[in-house]
Amino acid sequence: MAKIIAVHSYKGGTGKTLLSLNLAVLYANRGKSVCLLDLDFRAPSLQSILKVKNADYWVNDYLNGVCDIKKVLADQSKTHAKRGKLLIGFANPSTEAIREMSAKDRKWEMKALGRLLSLKNTLLNDMHIDYIVFDTSPGLQYSSINAIVSADLVLVVSGMDISDIKGTHRMIDELYELFEKKTGLVMNKVFADFLSSKGHRQELAKKLMNNSNLPMVDMIPCYCDVLRAGGTALFANENPDHPFIKILERIADTIEKL
Amino acid sequence: MTVRKLEGTQTRLLQKIKESLDSLNEKMEVIIELQKHSSKVKPTPEIPDVLDVMTLLSLPDHLRKTAITLCKLEQATAEEVAEQTRRARAVESSYLNQLVLMGYLKKERRGRKAYFCVDKEGENKTWQK
Repeated sequence: MAKIIAVHSYKGGTGKTLLSLNLAVLYANRGKSVCLLDLDFRAPSLQSILKVKNADYWVNDYLNGVCDIKKVLADQSKTHAKRGKLLIGFANPSTEAIREMSAKDRKWEMKALGRLLSLKNTLLNDMHIDYIVFDTSPGLQYSSINAIVSADLVLVVSGMDISDIKGTHRMIDELYELFEKKTGLVMNKVFADFLSSKGHRQELAKKLMNNSNLPMVDMIPCYCDVLRAGGTALFANENPDHPFIKILERIADTIEKL
Repeated sequence: MTVRKLEGTQTRLLQKIKESLDSLNEKMEVIIELQKHSSKVKPTPEIPDVLDVMTLLSLPDHLRKTAITLCKLEQATAEEVAEQTRRARAVESSYLNQLVLMGYLKKERRGRKAYFCVDKEGENKTWQK
């Protein structure tokens, strides 16, 4: 069973952050201990969505070797989880931090990989966390590939755009398969007409799967309510009966079986 | 008449030889200048071999598996790596030694056992290979 899930995509704006956050909250609401880490150092987002103004320590500090992971994790259980434990590590959104993170050398990235890999031991074994969710940067860059190597399962999110689909195909062949990573596909923001019949769904799934044997975890329609909220509402708590959350519940179930 | 002709041919030949020597001289001077110039260019600094994810991606499949396993274990014997990869110990030992020769791993003997670890300090420079 996958314990560390990296949510990744070829292009930006596919819905990785919204998916990661709601998935983490859903697992917490099921009574699990969940740790969500923002690893998108070029465009940190979680702190904006959860309206967190400042943090004593960021995930950046952990990877820089400044502090241990416990100091980075903010306990958001009381504010954002109904039952279990929800710990969140935010990425530093300051321009200076973004600039610093994008100028790291290969040696630093190698050490960062070691630190991400050691989370398995610290969080899963010592702190008894049930699930770790990595919200990653899009495309092929150090921070996202480090996250992929450290994860048990990669959930790849793609939109319907042809450049996104083709990019996802390349990542399947040249990234996930090379690292022998368990991978599941999710298509997000799908135009409702494409999901109207079983035949349409199969056709669309085939397009993204591209002869690979990877499981098509789910296809999420484009919901105006989700877009209208503009990332300001945590649907998993505020609108748990919304079809978007029902599909995420299904995805959470599928991940547990993968 | 014949002697005059012979002298003329000899002069032309000598003239040709002189021209060739001058041309050769010019070329030699250009080469010497070029050499002087190139000696002023600083040699490119040696980049330490680092086992980062991009390097992992560029490794052949059999070595990548070994390298990733060692990254996860931090330090391990060939036997411990073999337990994870489910390949023979001798095979892993050979792959690990290849990665040491490539400058990505460090090998340390402790008693009868050989431990491999990722060269985090990048001490193994390419010129040391």
